Amino acid sequence: MKHSWLIGGEAGFGIMTTGLMFSKISSRRGYNIFDYVEYPSLIRGGHNAYEVAFSLEEPYDFKPTIDCLVCLNQKTFELHKDRLASDSLVIYDDHDFMLEGDYVKVAIPFYNILQKLKGDSIMKNTIALGASLAIMGADLTEADDIFQDQFGKKGQEVVDFNKKFAEEGFNFVKNNHSQKIKDWLIKKDSDGKLVMTGNDAFSLASVIADCRLYVAYPMTPSSSVLSTLAAWQEKTGMIVRHAEDEISVINTALGGSFAGVRAAVGTSGGGFALMVESVSLSGMTETPIVIFISQRPGPATGMPTWTEQGDLLFTINAGHGEFPKIVLAPGGLEEMIELTVKAYDLADVYQTPVVILSDMFLSEGHRTISNKFINQFISNYKLNRGKTIIKTQESKYLRYQITADGISPRLIPGEKGVFYQANSYEHLEDGHTTEDSIARKQQVDKRNNKTLTYLTNDFQLPKVYGDLEKAEIVFVAWGSMKRPVLEAQKLLIEQNKQSAVIHFSYIYPLDEKKIKPLFSTNKRYVLVENNSTGQFGKLLRQETGINITEKLFKYDGRQFTGKEILEKLIMKNYD
Amino acid sequence: MTNIQDFSGYPPTWCPGCGNHGIGIGLKTALVQLNLDPSSVFVAFGIGCSGNMNDFLNAYVVHGLHGRAIPLAIGMKLANHKMPVIVVAGDGDCYGEGGNHFLHACRGNHNITVIVHDNRVYGLTTGQSAPTAKKGYRSKSTPTGIIEISLNPLTLALTQGATFVAQTFAGDASHMIEIIKQGIQHKGFSLINVLQPCVTFNKVNTYQYYQKKVFKLGENYKKSDLRSALEAAQGNRDEKYPLGILFQEERLTFTDQLSQIQKGKTLLQNERFSAFDDLFKEFS
Repeated sequence: MKHSWLIGGEAGFGIMTTGLMFSKISSRRGYNIFDYVEYPSLIRGGHNAYEVAFSLEEPYDFKPTIDCLVCLNQKTFELHKDRLASDSLVIYDDHDFMLEGDYVKVAIPFYNILQKLKGDSIMKNTIALGASLAIMGADLTEADDIFQDQFGKKGQEVVDFNKKFAEEGFNFVKNNHSQKIKDWLIKKDSDGKLVMTGNDAFSLASVIADCRLYVAYPMTPSSSVLSTLAAWQEKTGMIVRHAEDEISVINTALGGSFAGVRAAVGTSGGGFALMVESVSLSGMTETPIVIFISQRPGPATGMPTWTEQGDLLFTINAGHGEFPKIVLAPGGLEEMIELTVKAYDLADVYQTPVVILSDMFLSEGHRTISNKFINQFISNYKLNRGKTIIKTQESKYLRYQITADGISPRLIPGEKGVFYQANSYEHLEDGHTTEDSIARKQQVDKRNNKTLTYLTNDFQLPKVYGDLEKAEIVFVAWGSMKRPVLEAQKLLIEQNKQSAVIHFSYIYPLDEKKIKPLFSTNKRYVLVENNSTGQFGKLLRQETGINITEKLFKYDGRQFTGKEILEKLIMKNYD
Repeated sequence: MTNIQDFSGYPPTWCPGCGNHGIGIGLKTALVQLNLDPSSVFVAFGIGCSGNMNDFLNAYVVHGLHGRAIPLAIGMKLANHKMPVIVVAGDGDCYGEGGNHFLHACRGNHNITVIVHDNRVYGLTTGQSAPTAKKGYRSKSTPTGIIEISLNPLTLALTQGATFVAQTFAGDASHMIEIIKQGIQHKGFSLINVLQPCVTFNKVNTYQYYQKKVFKLGENYKKSDLRSALEAAQGNRDEKYPLGILFQEERLTFTDQLSQIQKGKTLLQNERFSAFDDLFKEFS
């Protein structure tokens, strides 16, 4: 069974911390979680809501109803009451407001407890956490452990102070609402899970891939990669530079990459727009770079703290001139780790920019991932730097040597007796500038050949979920839309309807010959994207000739849910 | 020992009489005199007539984009801080298009040497006004005379924290070689602004003009004093151009302050990280 818990209150009052604690406690008690925060682009004064879905299976998205709503103020109730059912639990303080309507009311005297224990209003969260755990049938073991981890350094007093508030909320439920207690969070066996965001997974994968230089300028929703890698840098040895602007960001990374270390940058659409000229520099000089883009709704400043898949075509077309570029878009944490590490390898192998395309939904929501998966991945991973060399056997080293696969040996600078230039101008094989027509054509062909080599050696087909033969409906989606369409598929099974999902994560370039067979049947294909123009549909048509005519778009800054996909599908049938 | 020939790539294509010839030879001579060889130097070039030195100088080089040589150089230094890193850029390149990078590199005291070919005009695009052009200068982009006053690179660098600020003149080879050598040897961010005539497009700031208007900072000049330096730097505004090291101080460089590369190894040489369990804790 999947359950949902939502805590809401005024921004700046610790909702985020408490929400994440609830996720971690659920994970430690053996459940898979998915959480997501809706917050305005403000530090104080707005409304925050932190929602957690948890179940023994992996929750693909939230439930339509909220099973337990924690109202730290009346506004929370007003904003979310539409999603309450008569058996929903509502935790609130009847000192704050009178709760009207048919719900399972769990009144907790937050105000009196704060008075009694002499706590600031920020401690309301902790009381609410204790109460939530009690009402769901959990105990305080994991909460106490987390307090110890989080506040241990500040001294036992601080740990005990927090414990006290949680206990007070917990005991109040046990003593006053015992008949309403559920078994939703009773402890289950588990082989160890970690709770992380897509940004965390990108960060971790960058360390696994031996990235040694990460450069960024803060931009929501990519900023937590910068802070996470910066917090780790003394441990990992990575150099993390917050440069003066995005143009400096990408050029610093390219300088480091030229000098031989794996380098990456991270940003959102607007910051990437500033980098674009240098993306072309990477393509021309054949200097590897990994670019992490976490999309948010544009244009211009748009809606910084919300989600959209609106920068796909911009990313694919970014950079003047013609050069190879690889774009990958993970659908979840496991794919974020696999594809990020792959991106570093591909950047080295093809000596060209490789983009990881994420979005707010994937970047900032927490999900569970198994410890075992990560450990196995790390022990199986073998770094592949392609034709990167530290010594050359040739009497005259040619940086841009013409080869059949388009890839030339790339010497890490430092070998004695050798030198070369990575040239932004069109160049000869040895790197010197040229305007010669034959040399120009040879170098263009050489660079383009890298795309052909990639399609032969590394391109991966989209993953198919379900049975294409039997499916009545085939959803086509990319990147973070994976989970919502899988949820839609699940809901259809409940209605005895067969569907399949074709999910693309190797977004660009696309291989027409390999992809076409997936679209050969007379099926009902439905394109599902979180943007208003169907950017992937256009790309698919441009690259393969496949034209999907039935399209579902959402572009209000919120991710599609499985239920919404089905509702739109039904509405379309009546069109 | 190396010689000038070791550093020489293609024969230069600059206009006969262009100040770039002098700067090119000056830089190579300085590198030879410092006992460096083409395999032991990084150079980042911007775009412009100055940047075209990429084909005439042998080294481990990136010829980058207009305005972006400084961040490229910073990246090279971060990855391999044992190699000297030189930036060759023009006035429009470094002070116009790349102005933001320039002032932040001063703040960071990145240990790189920035040699700016300051001819006060855009040569490669055939004669528009540069940020260092004198107010009223008539050019293809400012036919009635440039409205802005000229940018003063020396005061800009001094006030933003550069630890080596010098000016030299392309018409004085021995002075230029000495300044370039000292700039490369300096640990920290070095700006060398080279006053350079453009014989094709700038008919005002000629060799004769500079020969009349430059002066060398005297033996009594105290280069450790920021106030004297700021005063001397005002000379560029008043057409009394100081030559020499206006300011030099010791301050920890950017890479000096990174614990990641303090154990005798460069970022490139460091061992690969493997203690992943340490990172997992915060996610459980």
